[in-house]
This record gives sequence, structure tokens and C-alpha cells, in this order.
Amino acid sequence: MNPFTYSRAADAAEAVSALSAKPHTKFLGGGTNLIDLMKMGVETPAQLIDIGRLPMAQVEELPDGKGIRIGALARNSDVAEHALIQQRYPLLSQALLAGASPQLRNMATVGGNLMQRTRCYYFYDPAFPQCNKRNPGSGCGALKGYNRIHAILGQSEQCIATNPSDMNVALAALEAVIRVQGPKGEREIPIADFHRLPGTTPNVDTNLKEDELITAVDLPAMPFATRSHYLKVRDRASYAFAIVSVAAAIEMDAGKKITAVRIALGGVAHKPWRAKKAEQQLMGKDADEKVFRAAAEAELAAAKGYEHNSFKIELAKRSIVRALTTVAGMNS
Amino acid sequence: MSATTLIGPARSRVDGRLKVTGAAKYSVEFEVPKCAYGWTVESNIAKGKITAIETKAAQAVPGVLAVLTHLNMPKFKEAPKKEGGGGGAGIRNEERFPLSDDGVYYAGQYVALVVAETIEQARHAASLVRVSYAPEEPLLTMEAAVRKADKPKKNNDTPVQINKGDVATALKDASLVKIEQTYITPTETHNPIEMSGTIAHWEDDQKLTLYDATQFVKGVQNILARSLGLELENVRIICPFVGGAFGCKGAVWMHVLLAAMGSKVAGVPVKMHVTRRNMFVGAGHRTPTRQTLSLAATKDGKLQAIQHVSETLTSPVGQFTESCGSRSTGVMYESPSIRVEETVYPVNVSTPTFMRAPGECPGTYALECAMDELAIALKMDPVALRLANHADNHPTKNVPFSAKHLREAYQLGAEKFGWSKRNPELRSMRDGDLLVGWGMATATYPAHKMSAAAKVILRADNSATVQCATHDLGTGAYTAFTQISSEQLGVPFEKVTFELGKSDFPFGPVAGGSNSTGTVGTAIHEAAVLLHKALAELAVKDSKSPLYNTKIEEIGMVAEGRIGIVTDQTKSDSYADILKRAGRDSIEVQSEQKPPEENKKQAFQSWGAHFCEVKIDPLLPRVQVTRVVSVMNCGRIVSAKTARSQIMGGVTMGIGMALTEETSYDPATGLPVIRNLADYHVPTNADVPEIDVSFVGEPDFAFNPIGARGMGEIGITGIAAAIANAVYHATGKRVRDLPITPDKLI
Repeated sequence: MNPFTYSRAADAAEAVSALSAKPHTKFLGGGTNLIDLMKMGVETPAQLIDIGRLPMAQVEELPDGKGIRIGALARNSDVAEHALIQQRYPLLSQALLAGASPQLRNMATVGGNLMQRTRCYYFYDPAFPQCNKRNPGSGCGALKGYNRIHAILGQSEQCIATNPSDMNVALAALEAVIRVQGPKGEREIPIADFHRLPGTTPNVDTNLKEDELITAVDLPAMPFATRSHYLKVRDRASYAFAIVSVAAAIEMDAGKKITAVRIALGGVAHKPWRAKKAEQQLMGKDADEKVFRAAAEAELAAAKGYEHNSFKIELAKRSIVRALTTVAGMNS
Repeated sequence: MSATTLIGPARSRVDGRLKVTGAAKYSVEFEVPKCAYGWTVESNIAKGKITAIETKAAQAVPGVLAVLTHLNMPKFKEAPKKEGGGGGAGIRNEERFPLSDDGVYYAGQYVALVVAETIEQARHAASLVRVSYAPEEPLLTMEAAVRKADKPKKNNDTPVQINKGDVATALKDASLVKIEQTYITPTETHNPIEMSGTIAHWEDDQKLTLYDATQFVKGVQNILARSLGLELENVRIICPFVGGAFGCKGAVWMHVLLAAMGSKVAGVPVKMHVTRRNMFVGAGHRTPTRQTLSLAATKDGKLQAIQHVSETLTSPVGQFTESCGSRSTGVMYESPSIRVEETVYPVNVSTPTFMRAPGECPGTYALECAMDELAIALKMDPVALRLANHADNHPTKNVPFSAKHLREAYQLGAEKFGWSKRNPELRSMRDGDLLVGWGMATATYPAHKMSAAAKVILRADNSATVQCATHDLGTGAYTAFTQISSEQLGVPFEKVTFELGKSDFPFGPVAGGSNSTGTVGTAIHEAAVLLHKALAELAVKDSKSPLYNTKIEEIGMVAEGRIGIVTDQTKSDSYADILKRAGRDSIEVQSEQKPPEENKKQAFQSWGAHFCEVKIDPLLPRVQVTRVVSVMNCGRIVSAKTARSQIMGGVTMGIGMALTEETSYDPATGLPVIRNLADYHVPTNADVPEIDVSFVGEPDFAFNPIGARGMGEIGITGIAAAIANAVYHATGKRVRDLPITPDKLI
């Protein structure tokens, strides 16, 4: 563990200016991921700015009276149990409760969850010489290594890591907007643009600039957000990262015709994977298991597996079908 | 007071309050003044030579007291060699001393030790040590190490290559029903809650105290004394509580030797707490296994041949061997021909060690899956097949088993589970959309006997203290030994204090092989006999005693707190009165440590049957175990609650083995990729159903005076097979490589 300095920010502006003032500075929220990575020697910040006491933990209605704004420091447990979230965005509540353990959820913040780093073994343990994310140009140890948990969509030869978050998958389906503050003021980043695919720069996880602070997450109004489901497939019943997960929401007319649908996948890509191809296939069709399967096939047509993770392609298709039959009320 | 009932009282743990209040002190929690911290640097290549180590930057870190590498490490006194058994010599499954040369034998090997005033300083300085290597091509798999394969004749003095009858002919007999299949188990890691750790404290340059998390205080004492050239009595090992071990704290691992030497060099006490990450390389693991079972049976299910060929790994710096076939097929079923072959491959992977039922656990998995496959080939019920091949006599030693009640275990288990309602057809049972599978398997584990001694101090207020250098791994040993002491001494349970975990106490063997209850219980029994004799000697000389002038041989314990004439119990005297009249506050006796008596006319083995139910979503096939019934036959059950907990723990660990646990390795570097509890999937509460545990049989007094054959390991044997068999019944898919994760059922 590298020596580092620690200070506490009085407000968001001070936090942001402290970030730009000194290189290798990181914000400390719940610490559930960052401290772990510091102990492993993966993250080696010279300075930690503790933002834990900033007043950014509220969950409140947006001015339109329909959407919700979640403060970046709201704890995962508090968000999951919040009445407004449970009423209007049960998908997010389900995804949060599917993640980690109660102890971790009590500490982890929404902003920190957005910034959570991959669980790729080759990234997490500096004993491995190869990792383009940790050490650009060193190669990807997972490509020909042990890659059971790795990506099947959107990966590159430089990196086949996945984003491990459950929350992020729900946010992708809900088309959340990430509010950030930088030295020049505030801006908004749609969730689809927040996380990146690895391409040739897998060391950059997100489009958050190095001098910016996440202040809140906005959930826009979505009339069919209550007809939703978060499905997580994992190796054990609790406390395990998703091998595949699906966030799904659907709107149908009286004749079962699909009038709106959102699907996002977790555990399959470097970012929460919005399944736009599947959604396009489904629009206007009658809800039916065959139609769901065809949409899943379309989404996974471009998928590519490796030695240990090819099973995820079929598993992702099945998971999409199960999530859609669930939200369409077709399960017995 | 003789304990002849099958099941003893259901006492709550005597140390329960200490544990739930955090007052139980574990090894690294002892507070030693001026204690410094050790942190290791590990190799990230699997084989080669260290060509240079740059330590200047590390030495410059404030607070650093010493940086040790093979270049400046003081030499240990004794040449490394295998230390076998639990007899007292101690156990070192990794035989090379740490930092003793420039060689790298496996990835993760400790190549440097930093000692600093704070743990943060030590950790940071360790990150600044730069090691250069001349790497060589490592051997990482059985295939790669074929030319180094070894077929050891014996494992701990027991023959492991077995040839009885003519297996080859039976396996060619066209009139017999045959199956042959290969089963794979992965590397599994113990992962007790408490990581290994040691505080080494030199009181002077000839006197060392170690607070060590260990299953064998006397073994650590012996090895440290000889390695460091110290008198045995000048090395003290203290370990009152262990937070789980499962075998990984049975041997002396490198961090213990490093802490002792690091402390000597640094001149201050040194604490080394093995990180969770290093528990995957520095404290042993269960080797992966590949086992091929060939069975041949008559059409009515009588086995004619069993062949069990097992292949396992060991490290280049150890000889630990997992004897799968001899410890399962070698004891389990009657058959005119039995062949067991065991092959070990040395590979550049860290040193394996015993993990709960070493040999028996993977061995019964393979054998009991093969028996299920045979039952299906014969269209026979799996329980009926096992009953048809029940071994009254030890199948390879040809002596009768003592107090074997396996038939009753099958019967009671089947009844409690409702086995008769099982539809044998595959995929036939459902719960809504879920596939339901029922499977069963036999459990077995030998009754091991070692040697121990116990000291008893009985006081005039009727309280007693009993001491033995044994261990409580979290199993409830404190409670069980308090119960045995109470029964054997004739002192109320509440007035007995049982002390363990100190090398100053009379000898206790390694807490391994499920031997402690029986072995230490026997020592307590022997001490109780001595105590009653010592009291009798006082009484017969005392004219005020009803036992005045009685022959000592006629006197024994007749009631709690009383000795008397065994054949005429109207004449008796109380312990308190005898001591008071003799003007004594207390009386002290100690039993003698002697080699255990061997009974070669009988075989001693524990038995059990597991029945389980699984439910599986056919679309997203993660296996959920929904019911387990386990019936065990282990001789006397001393302590009803802790024994039940032992079986529940074994079954829980077996659920992990069957469904989720696997330590995977990177094929390029040979480093484990799974090195934390987020990635190494032990069962969570949500993975474990209600486990229904029962006991059958009788106390096995032919084995020892306590009648107990031990409980610690049998629970994990067979359960993985029962689950795999249930998965097959549910899905029609036979998975022959553990763990049965969802990808294998898609």
C-alpha cells in the first residue's frame, strides 16, 4: 500500500478543486472497492479526498414530479429500500439488492458503484504481468488465460474485462442521466455514454473527466418502469457477481403487442450492455416466447466467446427470454 | 457414571459466551509489547532462479527493521526432511526451508520478508522489493509432468497400491454389467474464517514463545526447536482458540519459520498474519484429482470387480499425497477383486496438504458416483445396490468391522427422506417448472487412534481442572472434553475446567484424522482411573473412611463425586471428604503418553448415508440443494450439539465442493486466479438447506474406552456424490467434473 495523504472536503466545489490541484488524487466514498484495490496495489493514489460527509445522499423527486434524483453518496442499501425507488423503479431496487452483501451495500455509494472497477483476475492482482487496463501496453492476460467471467460483447483484443455492477445494468435500462461537476460547472452524461468499451484504451473505464465529481443520478420518468425485472444468474445463491444478468422492462397493449421495451445485459461486456438490437426486433410484435428468443438471437449474433466463457452466449439468450417472459407476465 | 448411551448430553458450548462477545483470543490477537510486523514478497513465476533482488528502496522506508532474502537469511539448523504423522515429530508438508536458496519451485513462493514497526510500513516496503528471475518452463499439469509420475507404495505407512483377486479377468467378463468413467475434482482451498498467523517472541536468544494458529501445538514446538537449535522446553506454543482449520493448520508452513527467524534478526517480536490472498498458496490446498472407476457386477448387483485409478498432484518441495482409492474403494464394498492404483505428479504449484477427509472425500465422490451409474445400468435402486454389496468384513484386510451399523444408516436415512417415493426415471420429478432430483451416497471415514496424556487437578471443593495440549478448531472440543472429563472423573460438568492449546500441557496429538475426541478422551479416562486410585490410596489408610483397609483393586467410582467398593456400593466415600480428612486442598495426577494399543483382529471405521434433493431451473440451470438427510454411525456421540454441528459443517463444505468451490490457475504463470472470498465460492446461507442429522449404532468400546470413533471429517465424504447423483436424476445429464456450475448443465 502506497503512502497517501487524506483530507476531507467541505463542499463539492472544494472537492473538485482539490482534485485538479494535485495529480493522482482520488475521491473516497464508501471505500468498498477503492480501499481493496489500494491494498492490492492496483490503485496507488497519492491523495484521498473523503467526500463521505458532503450533503449528496438524498433521494428526491425531480421538479417534473415524475422522475427521481439520487444523490451520488446515497448508500446502496438506502436507495434499494427507499419507498420512491421501490414504487417507481423497482428494477433498480432489485438490482441493488442482488449485488454484494448487506454489509457492502450499507457502505457502497451510488457514485462509487458507477465507478466500480472490473473483477478481471488479471487486473485485480498485480502479480500478473499482463493487463492493459492496469498497465497499458503490457497485454491482456485473460485473452489466453482463465476467462470464465469475461466479456462476449463489445470487447477488444486489448481487453475482455466486464463491468461487475448490477446497479449499472438497471441504470442502463432506465436511461439514467449522470450529473457531474467539474471546475467549469455541471454537466450531464447519459448512462449509455458514461461507461466505455475497451477499444485500444481499456485503461479508461468511463467518460468522466479526471477533474469531475459525480453529484447525482437522475432517473427520468418512465411510465412502464414498474413492469420490470432484474434477473441475475450467478454461481451461488447469494454474494456472487453475475455471470449474466438482464434488466428488462416492457409495455404492451391490450392485445399483447409490445409498445415499449428496454433490455440491458450485465456480466457480458466492458459496460452495461443495452440490447438495442433485441429491443428493435421486439417493437410492435406480439409478446411470445419465440419472438423473445429471436430477439435474443439477434442481440447475441455478434457475440464471441473464449476458452472458458462461451457458455455465456447461450446463457445470455436464455436469460433474455426468461426476463421478458417474466415482465410480460407469461411465467407460471 | 459410565457413558454407555449412544448419544451424550446436548451441552451448549462452554466457550460460547467468550466467542460471541469477542473475548476469545486468537493467535494474532495476543498483545506482545513492541511487536513488529512481517510482510512477504512472493514469486510471480512458477519455476526458475532468482538472479537479483533489489532491497535498497525497501530498507529505506521508515520503520523497516529487516529485509530478508535468500542472500542474508540465517540458516535453519536441520536439513529439511519429511516429518510424518501426528506422533509428536510435527508435520512439514513443505520440506524446503523458506528463503533457503535462489530456486523458485512454484508461483507465489515467498522470496523475501520485510519486518517493520507497522503493518503499513512493512506492506509498502515489500512492494518496493524488486526481484529478477531467470525463468524456466514450469510443469503445471499432469500431462506436462507425466515423466515425473510416481506410484508411491505407501502413504503414512499404509499401502496404497492394492491388488486383491483378478480384476482384469472380471472386467473382461461379458456376462457382467460394467461401467467405466473418469471423474475430476479441482483444486479446493480450505478458507477457514481465521487466516493462519503467528506472533514470534524471543524472550532471550535461547527462549522462544509462539502464538500460533495451529492444529498441533506439540508438533510446532518440536519443529521449531529442531529448526532453530533450541531445547524443546525453551519453545512454547500458545493457541487457545482456532477459527477453523480443516487441515490447513496441521503442518508448519513457511510463515511460521519466517516469523521466528524474522523476529530473531530484527530483535523484536514479529507478527505475521497470512493474507487471505496468500492462504491460496502458503497454507496448502486440496490437490485436483482425476479418478477412473471401473466396476463389474452380476445382473443381480453383486460386485465382482472394482478398479480405482487415481491421479493427483504434489509440489516439487513436498511429498504430500491424496490417497483417493485406498481410502474409499479400499474399505467400502465387498468384492472378490479390488484394484487400487495411485499416481502422483510433482508440478510447479504450491504444496498441497490435508483438507477435511484427505483421500476419503474425493475418493468417495468418484466411487459413489460410479455406484450410481452402475445402479442405473443394472436398473437397480441405488440403496439396494449398496446393501447388496455391504462389507461385513474389511474388504482388503479381511477382518470384521467393529460396531458397524451402515445398514441401519441407509434404512433410517431412506425413511426420513421418503426415498420410497422416488421415481427412478430421469427428469420425472418436478416442482412446478423446476426439475427435482433425489440422490444418495455412502459416507465413510476411518477411526484413527493416536497417543495423548492428560493432567487432572481435583480440589476439595469438588472442582477439577483437566489439561492436555490438544486443540479446539471451532469444533466444540472444549465442550466435548469438559463432558468426557465430567463423566470420567465424576465431577459435575459446571465444575470442570478443561484447558488446551499450550505446549506446556501433557502431550496432545495433531487435531487431524478425526482422532481428538477418542484419543484425548482415552487420556482423560486413563487419568480418571489414576485419580480414583490416588483417592482410594488416601481413603484405605484413613480410619475414618468407610473404605478403611479395603483393597485398592476393589475400589472405583460409584457415583458422581464418590469412590466405593464396586461390588458393594453401600461402602463409599466422597472425594471432598477424603481430601479434607487428609488435609489436602487438591490432588493431582497425570496419565502417561504411550503408543496406542493396536487391535488387529478388527477394523475400525465410521459410516454414514447422505440423501439429498436438488431443484434446478431447466432454462437457467443453477443447482439448489433443497433437502439433506444424513445418518451417521461413528460409535459414541459424546456431545450431541457439537457432533450435529460437525456433520452440518461437513455437509455444507460438501455442498461447496459439489457446486461452487474451485481454485483455478492461470495457465501461463501458474498463479491462482482465485484468491479471495468473493471469487472462491464457499456456500452462503442461501445455498444451504435444513440439514437433518441423525446417529445410529452403539458406542465402539472395542476401539477405545470412550466408545467414540470421531466426527470431524465423515460429514464431507459422499455428499458431493449424493448431490451429483441427484443432479443426474433431475436432469439426465451426468456431470463428472466438479464443481457442477450452471455452464456445465446448459
